Amino acid sequence: MDHTSDPTAARWPVDPDRLDLVQEFRHRIRGPHSPDLQKLIARLRWGPIAGRYVVLTLETGRRWMLARQRAERGEKLELFENHVFTSLEDAEWEVFKRRWEEATGRRLKEDGTAW
Amino acid sequence: MVIETNLILGYPDTLSVAAGERIRFHLSTEVGAVDARIVRLRCADADASGPGLRYRGVASAIDGRHDCPDQRLRAGSCAIVDDGGGLAPRGAFSVGCFAWPTRPTAAPQTLMSRWCGASGIGWSLEITRDGGLRLTVGDGARRVTIEAGAALETRAWYWFSASLDLEGGRAAIHQIRLADHYRPDAEVTAAGDLAGLDGIDSGGPLVIAGRAAELAPLWFEGHFDGRIEAPRMLARWAGAGELSALAVPDRSAVADPDLLAFWDFADGIDTLRVTDRSPWRHDGRLHQMPTRAVTGRRWSGRYHDWRLAPQEYAAIHFHTDDLADCGWDPVLTLDVPADWRSGLYALRLQPADRAVAPGEEPVAESFVMFFVTPAKGRAMAPLVVVAAAATYVAYANSALRLYHVHFERLTEAVLQLTMDDKYLLEHPELAQSTYDSHVDGSGRAYSSWRRPILNMRPRANPFNLVTDTHFLDWLEEKGIDYDMITDIELDREGVRALAPYRAAVTLSHPEYYSEAMMQALLSWQNQGGRHLCLGANGFYWRCGFHPQAPHVLEVRRGISGTRTWESAPGEVHLAGTGEPGSLWRHSGFAPQKLVGAGFAAMVYDRPGWFLRMPDGRDPRAAFIVEGIAEGERIGDFGVRIGGAVGIEIDRYDLDLGTPRHALLVATSEGLGPGSLPSPEEFRTTVHGLDGEQNALVRADMVFFETAGGGAVFTTGSISYVLSLSCNGYDNNVSRLTENVLRRFLDPEPFAMPA
Repeated sequence: MDHTSDPTAARWPVDPDRLDLVQEFRHRIRGPHSPDLQKLIARLRWGPIAGRYVVLTLETGRRWMLARQRAERGEKLELFENHVFTSLEDAEWEVFKRRWEEATGRRLKEDGTAW
Repeated sequence: MVIETNLILGYPDTLSVAAGERIRFHLSTEVGAVDARIVRLRCADADASGPGLRYRGVASAIDGRHDCPDQRLRAGSCAIVDDGGGLAPRGAFSVGCFAWPTRPTAAPQTLMSRWCGASGIGWSLEITRDGGLRLTVGDGARRVTIEAGAALETRAWYWFSASLDLEGGRAAIHQIRLADHYRPDAEVTAAGDLAGLDGIDSGGPLVIAGRAAELAPLWFEGHFDGRIEAPRMLARWAGAGELSALAVPDRSAVADPDLLAFWDFADGIDTLRVTDRSPWRHDGRLHQMPTRAVTGRRWSGRYHDWRLAPQEYAAIHFHTDDLADCGWDPVLTLDVPADWRSGLYALRLQPADRAVAPGEEPVAESFVMFFVTPAKGRAMAPLVVVAAAATYVAYANSALRLYHVHFERLTEAVLQLTMDDKYLLEHPELAQSTYDSHVDGSGRAYSSWRRPILNMRPRANPFNLVTDTHFLDWLEEKGIDYDMITDIELDREGVRALAPYRAAVTLSHPEYYSEAMMQALLSWQNQGGRHLCLGANGFYWRCGFHPQAPHVLEVRRGISGTRTWESAPGEVHLAGTGEPGSLWRHSGFAPQKLVGAGFAAMVYDRPGWFLRMPDGRDPRAAFIVEGIAEGERIGDFGVRIGGAVGIEIDRYDLDLGTPRHALLVATSEGLGPGSLPSPEEFRTTVHGLDGEQNALVRADMVFFETAGGGAVFTTGSISYVLSLSCNGYDNNVSRLTENVLRRFLDPEPFAMPA
């Protein structure tokens, strides 16, 4: 499979102790980011379509709902109706926290520190 | 508030209609009745940072309330043989084919059948992922299923066959995984008891790659993902060895007297017919356009052009999600008045019981787009805008965001899906674009406009048509009169479509061009036409509308180029025309030859702007840069993107065909590490290929004259038109564009330098 189609093609070890990178992202979601944070974000953003977090635009430029894609074409988008954002940065942060937990097994608090 | 955009869906029978002629709209909705209005669009981009959605109503004979049916949409291709009962032998018979399953599922997929689901009468030769081959036989009262019980491999060639003897009360099936480059044949057989079954003539057609669910109306289910080659039928009991050994009957030989049919898919590869080479001539027709010109089990690798060795391309690739024509009944017919202005129009639809007054925010609203071209022989303006309809079709229902692994990393932000994306995700039967893959992973080579196209409407994801309307908006703002045609007219009429005009504008991204389209533009430029090329990555893919399905565009993606799937080895030639697909650059006609600049790079991070180059001082270029100082940043602003150099960019290159006398009027500056070259632009990987370090990652403004008094001006950037409206249309991109357009509309011929 070619490199941009293979969901396992991303390689970068996610270090669960690098909370400094979490803090950097928390405070500067849009960047610019340090080289290590760029690689961490790139790693977290790469994976299979099934289970990928996205946001559904409810009002252009104003409101978005967290959602997740499913495995098969034609299946309904999984909607998280209690996660509606009025800022895309809030949405990015929510997705980052969820992916961090999936990658490290550790939950993050809202301020980006460890539980 | 969320505007519901997919409650009513539809498509036109033609994307462009001449004033004075007829267009039909095929519509479907669950709401029962619709309120219809015709509108003429100025800007289809709803982004609040730009001009916004701008259109006005045009009174028409179809305005008002109309009942509208809820019409079914069934994807999945197959071949249909209307045999008139000729393929329902009374005695024993055998059927078989070679096949290459690409996505066997737990649900049965049909190889060959003569079956009616409603009555349960007939036979159906099927596969399942875990059980392999199976035969279902029914007489309406009873049903017998025989299964091989051996799981199937994906993308391996098999022989599948069945023999049935109703009088003897027996049946047998054979599944042989054919020897490959390291394993011998592997055969599995199974037998069953048909005793007591009586009468299995379905009364319907024989179907390859599907089975009839009902006969009246006739529709199909149980489609197959994969390739089928050389299906045949024999009027006697035959083992796998005997049946598989049958070959296409030679003209000089006496065919086996029991041979009822032998469909040779190597015959008529450029057609939508399948040919029976038996004396009975049970020819069939293809339904929903499966892919032809694909390699079969005998492909040697010696030939890459199916026309040179059709017997090596004797397979057809069927897909459960092929869709070439929804086949909906037309609901509204519009006779376009002869005095309507040419331009971009839409049928605007709202639920009849929720229609709102003009100016109010709609609850639910859909559009079906179409272009009104001038009445035949009655060009109205010296300027024509050429909409990139072939490109709109190539991108129709693009699901890049939905199914591509790399997309979030490409955009460097969590993916924002629109309600249209959600609808497309949940309704894959609409079929996706030529950028997407079928559900079995093979690339989509065909895209049709006879289906609802969600991203060719106002409020859609802003690309192509939506972006292009920024130029229409600018023309309207400047009060410059124009006609509008599409590049489909170039494809069908050649240079005749351009001949009445002094100047033509191609828009942000005319990427897909057929040979007739390329030749029309080139010829017209050389005859004195003035071509203002306001985009980038244009004239890139060599493609073709299928001669026997003119609403279907065919694309093959081979050799190189920015592409989201790659044609399988040996499959670069188009089935419809036989010509080599891939990039025009690989056919010796790089875009630089036509317009002076060709695709260089994609811009993923920050946009750039233009700066004048020394050629801008040449008196030949003085009219272009009038009022723009050297060192002045041209287009360091723009709607949404933020700069006139962005999205995709083109560059000047003498080796690739930029005319020797062309002037490099301006070039880009400010691009960063997120600007990356297209794959055909580098031959080996090396550090520093990005826009920060690579001087060939740039957008060039190029101007040249032609021998016939014509001229070409190219801006080399997709985002260029997004800068036109900034600062109340008072900016240097607007000024430069107007400088060029005014001169291009002046009858004074251009002089080519000595």
